[in-house]
Amino acid sequence: MSKALSKVLQNVNKEKLFTASNLVVMTLTFLVFGLFVLIEVLSQTALGKLEKEAAVTIFFKDDFGESQILNLKSQIEKDKRVYSVKYVSKDDAFNIFKELNKNEPLLLESVTASVLPASLEVRAVKVSLLNTLSDEYSKLEGVEGVKFFKDIIERFNFWRGVLSLAVGVVLVILLFVSFSIVVSTVRTAISLRGAEFEILKLVGASDAYVKNPLIHQGVLYGGVSAFIAGLVYAVLIFVALFSGFLGSLGITDFALVSSLAVPAWIFAIVLTLVLTLCGALLGYISSTSAVKKYLNY
Amino acid sequence: MKKLPKENIQENNPLVVFQNVTKEYDNGFKCLDDVTFTIGKGEFVFLVGRSGAGKSSLVKLLIREQIPSSGSIVFDGVDIATIPHKEIHTMRRRIGVVFQDFKILSSKNVFDNVAVALEVTDAPKSQIKEVVDNVLTLVGLLDKSQRFPAELSGGELQRVVIARALAHEPDLLVADEPTGNIDPVSSAQVVEVFEKINKMGVAVMMATHDDRVVDKLKKRVVRLDDGKVVSDVKEGKYVQSTK
Repeated sequence: MSKALSKVLQNVNKEKLFTASNLVVMTLTFLVFGLFVLIEVLSQTALGKLEKEAAVTIFFKDDFGESQILNLKSQIEKDKRVYSVKYVSKDDAFNIFKELNKNEPLLLESVTASVLPASLEVRAVKVSLLNTLSDEYSKLEGVEGVKFFKDIIERFNFWRGVLSLAVGVVLVILLFVSFSIVVSTVRTAISLRGAEFEILKLVGASDAYVKNPLIHQGVLYGGVSAFIAGLVYAVLIFVALFSGFLGSLGITDFALVSSLAVPAWIFAIVLTLVLTLCGALLGYISSTSAVKKYLNY
Repeated sequence: MKKLPKENIQENNPLVVFQNVTKEYDNGFKCLDDVTFTIGKGEFVFLVGRSGAGKSSLVKLLIREQIPSSGSIVFDGVDIATIPHKEIHTMRRRIGVVFQDFKILSSKNVFDNVAVALEVTDAPKSQIKEVVDNVLTLVGLLDKSQRFPAELSGGELQRVVIARALAHEPDLLVADEPTGNIDPVSSAQVVEVFEKINKMGVAVMMATHDDRVVDKLKKRVVRLDDGKVVSDVKEGKYVQSTK
């Protein structure tokens, strides 16, 4: 292992300029890769939060009494599609209104509790059910109107898609550039060391003895640059976590997938590991392709 | 070198068998045509013939840089065309090769140039040091082990290459025009080294068109002409082709 590493480091030392340009471009690639992952995870996290907050609000006519509303509440609660139902009386609504407009006394003077409607806030088990529930509730007796923030979620998903696509396109371009750079580095190494490889063949060097250091070189470039990119994100996440910035945004966990959320510090480590593995894999694929194509051994 | 003493070697027990070997290139040029001869263990064979007679092609086939179009080359009982690609290196370690153009690494000193043959086997440093010192002593270059190729004469460079070829203690030493690029005095020294190595039991196949070397050693001479074996004489002399 140490012999293999020492051979790779010898090669790297011979090609300092190539190594530097490789590391810079590949680190840039994996910073964009990390950004892509971060956008996906953060938007997944935000979507999860939005879905939890999203509710259908049923406003009732003034002549629909509190007992009727509470009766309806208990009926709605029995619906398996419904996660929770909260009753907001006229007085509760007025208190909320007062709290929201506490700095505008003129507005507060002009509004009384009787003006504001009583309501039920219904949260569905799935955000996609809100549309159906909204339609059903709007046809119920005593209902003045139904509102829910359907547009917000749709718009969020739209912009999330646009952003992911844009970053994804840049990522694909950079991955291709990184692939090409590793291939051309290995190709140059093969050209420069053609005589040496011929001698190695004559003295009975195995295929692996000649090929492996070239392949390991690509793996090293990919792995190190991706690790650097991962480290940058890990540091940023830790700073955001310990400075309280994430807390101020209400983010405590990162949703890796919709059903699996992990604490921020675990996410930072996972992100670094995933990036490093992807970098090593890209380096392996690039250098293996170059060796197959250009090393006639 | 722990080879058998020459007298214990059965020269009729072939180390290499060329059996009806033909090599034809895609453009139809036949560089070897139905070549058949053997090399015994510990034997010294000159392969002579004018340029283009097929000597170098034969060497390339023997180290499996190329494969015959037909016929077989058997090395120590194994048809080398059947050796899997991944295993060729093990056969090459048993055949030391010396070329006219040296094939030496100019950035490495004499010691390291020889050591490279052992490094490919992942031999420990202590073993490398011992073997390299031994083979450099054998070719008379131990005192120049720290010199770089640019500081050596043609003859010395060729002796470095011989030392490198000997590092694996090969059964066969193949030399393709080893004296082609060096002056007569150096040639004589190089040939002496080959003779010394052969006396230690290593079979030698030397392709050459250097008549002085062939005539001086009085060894077996296999003559190639237009890719065919035209004569095979036990204690032969170099005879110019009439063509």
